[in-house]
Amino acid sequence: MESRAPLDCDRAARTRQQAEVALCVEDLKAYYRTRHFGVEREVKAVDGVSFEVRCNEIYGLAGESSSGKSTLIKAVAAAMRPPLEIVGGRATFRFLPGARSLNQATASQLAAIRWRKLSYIMQGSMSVLNPVRRVRCSFADFASRHLGGNKAAFQVRVRQHLELLKLDADVLDAYPHELSGGMRQRVTIALATICRPDFVIADEPTTALDVIVQKDVLDMVRDIQGEMGSSLLLVTHDLGVHAYMAHRLAVMYGGRLVEEARTPELFSSPQHPYTKHLIASLPRIGVDAPRIGLAGSPPNLAAPPSGCRFHPRCPLAGDRCRREMPTMIAVAADHRVACFAVAGAGGTA
Amino acid sequence: MLTTLGDLLRYNIEFRIGAILVGLVAVMAGLSLASPYSPMDTFLVAPDLPPTLTHPFGTTSRGQDVFWHLTFAIRNTLAFGIVVALLSRLLSLAIGLLSGYKGGWVDRLLMSINDTFIVIPLFPILVLFYFMLRDRMSWWVLAVIMALLGWAYDARLIRSVALSLKHREFTHTGIFSGMSTREILVREHLPYVMPIVFATTMNNMNWSIGLEVTLSVLGFTDISAPTIGGMIYWANQHTALVAGVWWWIAFPVILIVMLFVGLFLLAVSMNEHIDPRSRLRRMGAGGA
Repeated sequence: MESRAPLDCDRAARTRQQAEVALCVEDLKAYYRTRHFGVEREVKAVDGVSFEVRCNEIYGLAGESSSGKSTLIKAVAAAMRPPLEIVGGRATFRFLPGARSLNQATASQLAAIRWRKLSYIMQGSMSVLNPVRRVRCSFADFASRHLGGNKAAFQVRVRQHLELLKLDADVLDAYPHELSGGMRQRVTIALATICRPDFVIADEPTTALDVIVQKDVLDMVRDIQGEMGSSLLLVTHDLGVHAYMAHRLAVMYGGRLVEEARTPELFSSPQHPYTKHLIASLPRIGVDAPRIGLAGSPPNLAAPPSGCRFHPRCPLAGDRCRREMPTMIAVAADHRVACFAVAGAGGTA
Repeated sequence: MLTTLGDLLRYNIEFRIGAILVGLVAVMAGLSLASPYSPMDTFLVAPDLPPTLTHPFGTTSRGQDVFWHLTFAIRNTLAFGIVVALLSRLLSLAIGLLSGYKGGWVDRLLMSINDTFIVIPLFPILVLFYFMLRDRMSWWVLAVIMALLGWAYDARLIRSVALSLKHREFTHTGIFSGMSTREILVREHLPYVMPIVFATTMNNMNWSIGLEVTLSVLGFTDISAPTIGGMIYWANQHTALVAGVWWWIAFPVILIVMLFVGLFLLAVSMNEHIDPRSRLRRMGAGGA
């Protein structure tokens, strides 16, 4: 293989870039705004979120259902449709010319970026493939416009890419229902990575799979990510997946980030009360004490609580938590927490 | 497609009977190319002869051979049904897919037009058209009018499917990938609704042919062109049943009933084929 040598150089260059920021999200606010019979309703699904994803990094985003994970990445990828709109803040990709926010880019700029630079493995990706079209047609429909070249060259490229992912080229002639769930997932990932994008967003990529297939698929994602040297924003509620995959991990609650740290550190020394409970709720081998759940339920984002959104359920909540919204403060290198009750993160409650 | 047809022929008795009936009618229509007589001429043979070997379906009081005249009549009637079905399918597909996918004011506008067409009474309007157009009413004009009136039900059906397709992941992926509305409708949604369109085509043909026969029997169409309804109209004009010339009416009626039953069975078996559970049950693979 002659292509090995340049590839390795490429990889070395990418390692040098690792500290560089691939995606910078600043104070992003994305609300669902509806108006029915004159009654306006606003759901603050993402409300002031800031984080950075570095080059060649797997960045995990965790949170329970309705915490705003999917809304956040829809806003980041500029894949919103009404009633979801970006109300404030920016999400800037390194590869975007002039480093403009994606939601300000024109349609033609978006078309030029998508798939080639920014790829999106959608939630429920089991049904990304059209059930009445052969897999080959889905590749042609979605990806060929971004690669250019003629049909034959595209087919060669698809075959090479499938080979890279250790998939049989026969899947191209199959209909989606003829493939197993794990196979369909792998084909979907192949479809999303065929243009070797700089940045991949994956929304719950393995949720419907059993753990064995899950591990295979995750290994494949990690291999292709390492091979391409791209950044991966991985969104799932499954902390096991994050522990396995993510370099850094952020926890979301009620539309805001509550904590962000390197993954091992987040699991070993969580700071925020919510993260602590989340980690404590994970089963551990050899420990058969019952896990204590947290009373209450996630906030209604149409009418979020005042101050810290976690305070109604927080065992450490004080007066200040009811009045003020905590911001993310660095408590250690690569470790940020949004809580008044954490020492070194904005005083006491 | 071919394997689908093979499966249907093997496992589905309705489809087999329907295919045979429609096939016979189609062969009959094809024979018109070999006819020794012109369909527009009268008194070519001795009138009022009962069925014999030389004239298998007998002859009419107007001196036409019933068998050969019938080949032209069924050809025109069949062609009429197909033209109406194709034109109205184009309309209902375009309107149904666009309305379901676009939603909003496009949907509201198209569906209010659609509902208007569903509620207006067809028969008086067709008669009205006949009285307005009179001599200019050829079967082409009638076919276009019927197509313009006959798309609404199926457009609603297709819209309801398009509504659900709009929220599937492959549609979102297509949008993310930068496909235009036209590309999404034609490449992603159209293949999905095609089986439904096939099934409704048969029903639409039955509907349009039935209305055409009714109009012709009553004389509200271009009666000089040979059609099934036109033949019955002329037989009634010559009081064929009173005169004992039953074969003039019996054979067109038998042929059109064969076509109706055949198309109906095809539609039923297609409907069943679209639902995979009933298909598997019939093939003996699935349980209850």
